[in-house]
Amino acid sequence: MTTFLIRRLLLIIPTLWVVGTLTFFMMRFAPGGPFLAERDIPAAAKEQLERQYGLDRPLHEQYLKFLANTVRLDFGPSYKYPARQVTEIIFEALPVSLELGGWALLLAVLIGVPIGVIAAVRQNTGTDFAAMTAALAGVPVPNFVLGPLLVLGLSLSLFIFPPALWSGPQSRVLPVLTLSTAYIAYIARLTRGGMLEVLRQDYIRTARAKGLSETTVVSKHALKLGILPVVSYLGPAAARVIMGSVVVESIFAVPGLGQHLVRGAFNRDYTLVLGVVLFYSLFLMLLNLLVDIAYTRLDPRVELA
Amino acid sequence: MSAAALDPALAPEMAEAGSRPESLWADAWKRLRRNRAAVASMVFLIGLSLLAAAAPWIPGLADPTLQDLRLGASPPSAGHWFGTDELGRDTFARVIYGGRISLMVGLVATLVSLVIGVSWGAVAGYRGGKIDELMMRIVDVLYSLPYIFLVILLLVFFSRSILMLFVALGLVQWLTMARIVRGQVLSLKHQTFVESARALGASDAAIIFRHIVPNTLGPVIVFTTLTVPAVILQEAFLSFLGLGVQPPDASWGTLVSDGARMLALFPWLVIFPGMALSATLLCFNFLGDGLRDALDPHDRRDVA
Amino acid sequence: MRPVIRLRVLAATAACALLSCAPARQADVQTAASGKRWFGDVRPPVENVFTYANGAEPERIDPGLMSGQPDGRIARMLLEGLTTPDPKTLESLPGQAYRWEITPDGRTYTFHLRPGLTWSDGRPVTSQDFLWSWMRVLKPETAARYATFLYPVDNAEAFNKGEIKDSTRVGLAAPDDSTFVVRLGQPTSYFLMLTQFYTCLPVPRHVIEKHGARWTRIENFVGNGAFRLAYWRQNDRFELTKSPTYWDAAHVRLDRVIAYSVDDLNTCTNLYKAGVTDWNPSGYLPAQYIPYMKDFADYRSGRYQATYFYSINVTRKPLDNVWVRRALNLAVDRETIARDLLKGSRDPWGNISPSGYPGYQHPPGLTYDPEKARECLAKAGYPGGKGFPKIEILFNTSEDHRRIAEAIQAMWRRDLGIDIELSNQEWGSYLQATTSLQYDVSRRSWIGDYLDPNTFLEMWRTGDGNNRTGWGDPRYDALLRRAAAELDPAKRFALLAEAEALVLDQGAVIPIYHYSTVELLKPYVKGLYQTALDVHPMKDVWIDRDWQKDAAPVAAGAAAGRGGSGTR
Repeated sequence: MTTFLIRRLLLIIPTLWVVGTLTFFMMRFAPGGPFLAERDIPAAAKEQLERQYGLDRPLHEQYLKFLANTVRLDFGPSYKYPARQVTEIIFEALPVSLELGGWALLLAVLIGVPIGVIAAVRQNTGTDFAAMTAALAGVPVPNFVLGPLLVLGLSLSLFIFPPALWSGPQSRVLPVLTLSTAYIAYIARLTRGGMLEVLRQDYIRTARAKGLSETTVVSKHALKLGILPVVSYLGPAAARVIMGSVVVESIFAVPGLGQHLVRGAFNRDYTLVLGVVLFYSLFLMLLNLLVDIAYTRLDPRVELA
Repeated sequence: MSAAALDPALAPEMAEAGSRPESLWADAWKRLRRNRAAVASMVFLIGLSLLAAAAPWIPGLADPTLQDLRLGASPPSAGHWFGTDELGRDTFARVIYGGRISLMVGLVATLVSLVIGVSWGAVAGYRGGKIDELMMRIVDVLYSLPYIFLVILLLVFFSRSILMLFVALGLVQWLTMARIVRGQVLSLKHQTFVESARALGASDAAIIFRHIVPNTLGPVIVFTTLTVPAVILQEAFLSFLGLGVQPPDASWGTLVSDGARMLALFPWLVIFPGMALSATLLCFNFLGDGLRDALDPHDRRDVA
Repeated sequence: MRPVIRLRVLAATAACALLSCAPARQADVQTAASGKRWFGDVRPPVENVFTYANGAEPERIDPGLMSGQPDGRIARMLLEGLTTPDPKTLESLPGQAYRWEITPDGRTYTFHLRPGLTWSDGRPVTSQDFLWSWMRVLKPETAARYATFLYPVDNAEAFNKGEIKDSTRVGLAAPDDSTFVVRLGQPTSYFLMLTQFYTCLPVPRHVIEKHGARWTRIENFVGNGAFRLAYWRQNDRFELTKSPTYWDAAHVRLDRVIAYSVDDLNTCTNLYKAGVTDWNPSGYLPAQYIPYMKDFADYRSGRYQATYFYSINVTRKPLDNVWVRRALNLAVDRETIARDLLKGSRDPWGNISPSGYPGYQHPPGLTYDPEKARECLAKAGYPGGKGFPKIEILFNTSEDHRRIAEAIQAMWRRDLGIDIELSNQEWGSYLQATTSLQYDVSRRSWIGDYLDPNTFLEMWRTGDGNNRTGWGDPRYDALLRRAAAELDPAKRFALLAEAEALVLDQGAVIPIYHYSTVELLKPYVKGLYQTALDVHPMKDVWIDRDWQKDAAPVAAGAAAGRGGSGTR
């Protein structure tokens, strides 16, 4: 186990390097720079700004400087918001995204798994279809439709929740609900699939033959293995949801991390984008590692490579 | 006899009853037919595709780009079944033409991801060892890259054409495909039929593409069916950001994201495209689930 | 199963449809004096707190370096310049300077600061602060985006461009602590207007020298304005509290101001409707809503100093041909666009400079004349549109831009027989394309910074950074130079009008519409008026909890049905 852990942790570094390099060059090659604006800035000012940010240096020099700074965890100030450091921006937005994403996934698991289990146990019956349709309702309705619908219905007509912003417990509800519906569907489906596979196994038949109740069979024996697909899905899902759905953040004015990424791209905010991308990659890899470890706990047959 | 016939794990009926080698597929088809939701979905999708493909030749269908500024947005009526948008364009026509675009985007991008993903995963899985490690590491790296940049860059560097959109969206999906195929290949490559093929002197490439890949088709088909709706949704997301299909063309994604903005005022602009989108996505999902159920049971039972 | 599933999907969407139909009629209603309804919740806040949506997160709140309205709004609350705008007319009222003298030749302004002015940390505000702040803007190392604002000052442009190194040659002086003297290069009749602008706000030298770029952080910030910075979270909000050290603190009736940094227009409007915000500033209402909002009493509209037009890249064929440009111009039906597409929310406009300059006579604007357009096109060598190469209309991602582009595309196809394409690019690429002249026809807007036509005309000089069309004409440049030196206002306006007529005739721009300000304001907010520059001094704003005394009797049951969506 320890060798496995060490190997995986060590592999993170070269991966981050590749991710950072790719992003760096992609940003530099996209047309438009960080200092273009509708209103022209005097050439002298533009030169000055480029000098300040080191953009006048040759590309390979900029790249090396970027590498050196990254190692020291210094991403510098954001181009668009020069009064703030990139690390500061990330750590200010992170708790918000964690909260939003955390609640959304929790909700998705709490609702999705039971639905999937029920559907699997009652495969091909009316209950199966009812459950799957209910869960699937989240899939084809995109966030940017569901969000405004919920706002219209629950906020502006019935005044139960505020229509936006992230202040106060009530303001959490609509964004979390909007974000979680797609995940509920996936988790329900994955659970159903996993459970179906497990329930066919011989040892389940044995358990039933031994006279154990269906509930015990399902919850004690089948569930542990049946949710394996969900576990392996949760890793990347968590990373993705933490980045916040950009849509949800935009509609509900949630100050999360997802917005920074997309707006940064549009603004050519090189430093912020690089910082967020690297952070996201690190997060994703750590989560995948956690998922793999959890996998072995749940399924003793699986060996870590 | 074909190589597939040699493998009892893949055609147990044959081992038992000595029937035709393709019984896996016939058997799956029989099972699929019993799943009414899947069949209904298939019928719907085929019908929709035909309708969308034939759109320019349907008599009486309005021109989706024809504007009527004086009329502006109007609710559904006899003349306009789905109403009109703020430029006075017939929403019904726009939904049908939007379907053309959305389905095309979905299918082509999925095809792109299929080709790349299957090849990549098969090669990685079969070769194993260092090559496998390297190839899958690349997959991991790409997975960590926020694809939105890739897409913005591609759309900006080259023209904002639909072709570029296909490529960009396809490039996102192939990663998962590669992983799935690799997993399948890993479990298949030690099968007897592969050993036999190798003993008979077949090249690696031949083995990979002629023997192994066809046997991975089950999960690949399922995943493909599930990728199409994901791509369509992703295109909708890009439209929300303004990077999807460009005007005056409009996909369901564009229609829905535009319509959602005016939900309180002109609900029909989001309801009808939304229903079309939802129905299509649901059908793909039901079909995918059905296919998975149909192809599922026998692949797992490893006779070793 | 199929009918069941279909039914469920249908039922779900039908339910949503019903839900979405309801609220438009069900808005909280309280009858206003005019008989109109109010949009959303109209209960005033319990405390003297004014809340509004400030738009996108400001890039910075350092006034010398900023450019953008959200930034400007915040800066103007925290800092005050020599003059402040009148809340209704935008005339320059005494701010930090209580009086000033102008020499007869119009070139020297002497400002006298009020006695006893202090920064929020107690240090006195002196004329050296103003001198230092303005010089800072002009220093090339500062890279201030709006340094051009101070170019009327003698030698300012040369110093900013690095041609002069000696800062004492710039026409700014502080002979004593309370006198600030400005010497202009040429008589500039609108100079007093410039002093209101955020670029001319003073900044605390002692803080900047100590903290550098971090001086705007909340723990360091020091200002001399009506409010102080109490809280700032990126993409979330600013909170400002009344400043006790402000010279006119007695006049300020708000205790707190909360400015939410919300980007999405629908969200801004929803917040207003739910009563979370008290004011939805201009530009934060989705365009499609405007025709429906006109019926509400909250709706306030007026002319805005901005025009929407298309630039033509004259360096590309066939647009280098003036007849082609004239043809394109004359085939645009502005009336129909404004009336049908924009539902009358904007006025069609055929000039490049907007209205609102008393005494300025606009030259005749461009009109819609398809016959003449076809003649022009034929004269250019493309009769009936035959052989006309494919050109593109470029615009940045936005619903409104797309609609207008599509409409114009259809008009040109119908009236000129030419087929053009549309190109939608995201902001960064769009800016790149326009600044580097990599486009054919591009959508643009221009917002005036001060109330004088010059702000719309100086950009068309040959080689001006904001020109971005490649067009230039020595006659035009000469006219502007003469106007700058002209003391007599009537003569000056005549010269400017002649210049405008020239640029319109040469067809480098296709004016389309005149902007309006469209804002929503709750009835209990007083002291905030519609202005042509969309500038609103916050110190004059106050909450009137007794506003209903002026209104008709409240409709019964109107206040019922509100849940917990309070201001926090």
